[in-house]
Amino acid sequence: MSAEPQAAPPRTLADGFGRLIVLVYIVFAVSAGARAGYQVATKFGEAPLSFSLSAVAALIYLVAAVAIVRGASRTALAAVGVELAGVLAVGALSFADPAWFPEPSVWSHFGSGYGYVPLVLPAVGLVYLLKRRKDA
Amino acid sequence: MIEWLYLAAQAAALAMGAWFFVETARSRQVSRRHFAGVAVLEAFLLAQLVAGIAIVPGEPGGGKGLFFSYLVTAMLVPVAAAFWGSIDRSRWGIGTVAASGVVVAALLLRVHQIWEYQIHVG
Repeated sequence: MSAEPQAAPPRTLADGFGRLIVLVYIVFAVSAGARAGYQVATKFGEAPLSFSLSAVAALIYLVAAVAIVRGASRTALAAVGVELAGVLAVGALSFADPAWFPEPSVWSHFGSGYGYVPLVLPAVGLVYLLKRRKDA
Repeated sequence: MIEWLYLAAQAAALAMGAWFFVETARSRQVSRRHFAGVAVLEAFLLAQLVAGIAIVPGEPGGGKGLFFSYLVTAMLVPVAAAFWGSIDRSRWGIGTVAASGVVVAALLLRVHQIWEYQIHVG
């Protein structure tokens, strides 16, 4: 009986490539969150929309990270989907009417201030989550 | 910030990231030499922190809290990634640690900007 092969633990969303995605999500949740918190605390009046948006983005990053770690694939998909929509909408809007965003938010100009990671991350995340859902 | 020390730390972060991405392509598991690589990067970051503690408080500008919070975050990320990656048996274990090198490079860039434009002024 002891010769029975050890059953491998089931692969969760946070295994493999998901691990890298979670790391980046956590880094972005922390950095965008800390930055937004600092800006809201010190100069909220200068650009309330930008800073609020950054705070919302940070929250969505956190939800996505937690959902992937906990294997809540629907929540993860929803968070990543909202994130992609957000970065596309805010990115386009910030080019169309820069007056709306006197201070950059995480998502303005498609995340150019963050090396376009805010644009690439949800796209990669979406492909990963959909692929894993198909495999399952 | 001491310019050559900053550039050395930046080079260490990018070199570690590049090396680990090669290891990712080879599907290597996180092992002792990778932890050694993380330790080397941490040594550079620690030197950066010590230099910062010695130099920054005497400078005229502001943004000093930001400077140290970014620097300390940069120190935590590779350690967290090394633990989080080492418990994965696929190639992306080391891939996660590789990504942390890129994150450190980005954070250091920001630390350097804060130094240039907010702290070391006048």
